[in-house]
Amino acid sequence: MKPLQIIVFIKQVPDPEGPADAFHVDLNAKKVIPVGIPPLISPFDENALEAALRIKDCHGAKVTAISMGERLAQPVLKKALAAGADDLILLVDPCFKDIDNWSTAYVLSSVITKIGDYDLILTGRQASDWDFGVTGLIIAEILQIPAINLARKVEVNDDNVFVEKLCEDGYEIVKARMPLLITVSNELGDLRYTSVRSLQIAQKKPATIYHANDLNLDFQNLNIRKIHNLFQFNDKRQCKFIEGRSFQEKGENLALMLKADGVL
Amino acid sequence: MDGERDRNKKVLVLVDIEDLEITSTTFELLGMGRKIAAESNGIVSGVVLGQRISKVEDKILPFAEEVYSLDHPLLETFNPELFASALKQLCQKVNPEVILFSCSLDHLDLAPRVACKMNVLLVTDCIDLAIEPETGYLLCTKPIYGAKIISTFKLVKKPYVVTLRKKTAEPAMQANTKGNIIRFTPVLDEASIRVKLIEKVKEEGTRLDKAKAIVAGGRGIKDAEGIEKLKGLMVALKKYFESVELGASRPLIDSHLVPSFHQIGLTGEKVAPELYIAVGISGSLQHLTGILGAKKIIAINNSLKAHIFEVADYGVVGDFEEIVPALKRKLEEFQ
Repeated sequence: MKPLQIIVFIKQVPDPEGPADAFHVDLNAKKVIPVGIPPLISPFDENALEAALRIKDCHGAKVTAISMGERLAQPVLKKALAAGADDLILLVDPCFKDIDNWSTAYVLSSVITKIGDYDLILTGRQASDWDFGVTGLIIAEILQIPAINLARKVEVNDDNVFVEKLCEDGYEIVKARMPLLITVSNELGDLRYTSVRSLQIAQKKPATIYHANDLNLDFQNLNIRKIHNLFQFNDKRQCKFIEGRSFQEKGENLALMLKADGVL
Repeated sequence: MDGERDRNKKVLVLVDIEDLEITSTTFELLGMGRKIAAESNGIVSGVVLGQRISKVEDKILPFAEEVYSLDHPLLETFNPELFASALKQLCQKVNPEVILFSCSLDHLDLAPRVACKMNVLLVTDCIDLAIEPETGYLLCTKPIYGAKIISTFKLVKKPYVVTLRKKTAEPAMQANTKGNIIRFTPVLDEASIRVKLIEKVKEEGTRLDKAKAIVAGGRGIKDAEGIEKLKGLMVALKKYFESVELGASRPLIDSHLVPSFHQIGLTGEKVAPELYIAVGISGSLQHLTGILGAKKIIAINNSLKAHIFEVADYGVVGDFEEIVPALKRKLEEFQ
């Protein structure tokens, strides 16, 4: 039997845990400029990659990781190869700069059409930079394939895929046939450990690079996101530190302070 | 004043239902819908999808100029494919200006599909909305980069589709309008369902979003004994607050000491209690974005360098295992 073809989209983002003052706002360009923080794979996309690799562990599969951007850091994205992905495709072109969600989904679905042969598409539930959480579902709409949002577990059984899907008061077990798109949430689990050695080996593997002209795109469909305003959010409060000679006394003094200030 | 409103300019508000109950977020959506409708000189139309939904319709009617009732056996339980199809059909008929969704998991599954079917963009997780007076476009304010930056996106093609974060709008007051219920029956086919529900598994939940006080633990809580100390503090707080719940940041969830429905943050609950006590939480941005609405924040952490102190009103540096029981005892002594 032909191995399953799994595509995982991985987005390069600035480290979301970077300090707040490392994110500068360029109001004229309507851009957020991260300063001095390293790029990495968006954390939920790592969860999606882990979901793909677990299926590969069980059934054997060819896992292709794909990333899109105006400029991409190959050493960062090659972590996907180190973790166990078979191929890495990079979509790099100046015209991918600052495009909106629909345009992004359009470019990503065009590379899927180019690949042609696929069974499962996995994405993270949302990217840690813009936090939209819509690209996966839009790709499925464009490709006209079914989509399951917010998976915490994915299992393949012959032609059927069984997914535990998050809902407000628990989860649902749902079933669908491939081809299928699934967005993955952090509950599925972190990406497996990648050793320094596997990362070094991965650096030597080549990535396939496509430019916009390789993708049969209608360039009129690529639109820049319309940002009206951006500003740095400051929720800093004046913290009153509670003193005391011991931790116990600090605890008691906190209670007294809350009472005196009318917080209780 | 409402008499002059253009009834063809509709702000559709999708009613969010959980366990057959209308969620409190729905009334916040209606409140925001009312503001947008006023700014665009239009009206608010509630939209209810389900089966045998007359009770829901009656409850929504006082808050909207009209309610669309999409009553269909195939809409009895939430199914994103069928709900999206039904909403597309409604939109094609009534041509709305705006469609307002909540940020419930169901609505987040639905809104992108509906936007895509209507060939428009959408903005998710909005904390404010406004019509730009000169253009009539919709300005959508949304935190990005884990709430380090606040952005405002502009939607220029109708219908404007947005999802609104809970606790960011005032709930609607009852409107003084004689609303009417409009039946709309979508054409739905069971055979079109591609993702089939096999089983729904309910897990014990919390009422984090309704809590008046929350005691939350993070990476600093190492064992079940630590959790017990937090629960002890919760008991003491019940003397002062009518509802007290346990929260957690992601590291505590990942350590499996606390089930995932206690998670507060970007992908967990967004909360707005009177009092938030963060114990052993360093204050990662993914967590802080979930507590922006808290009135008073107390941080207890053994490192003075922890980010949480920057957003806290009160801070205690030291060992929570001694501080929390002492705080609890003192709270019990008062009155």
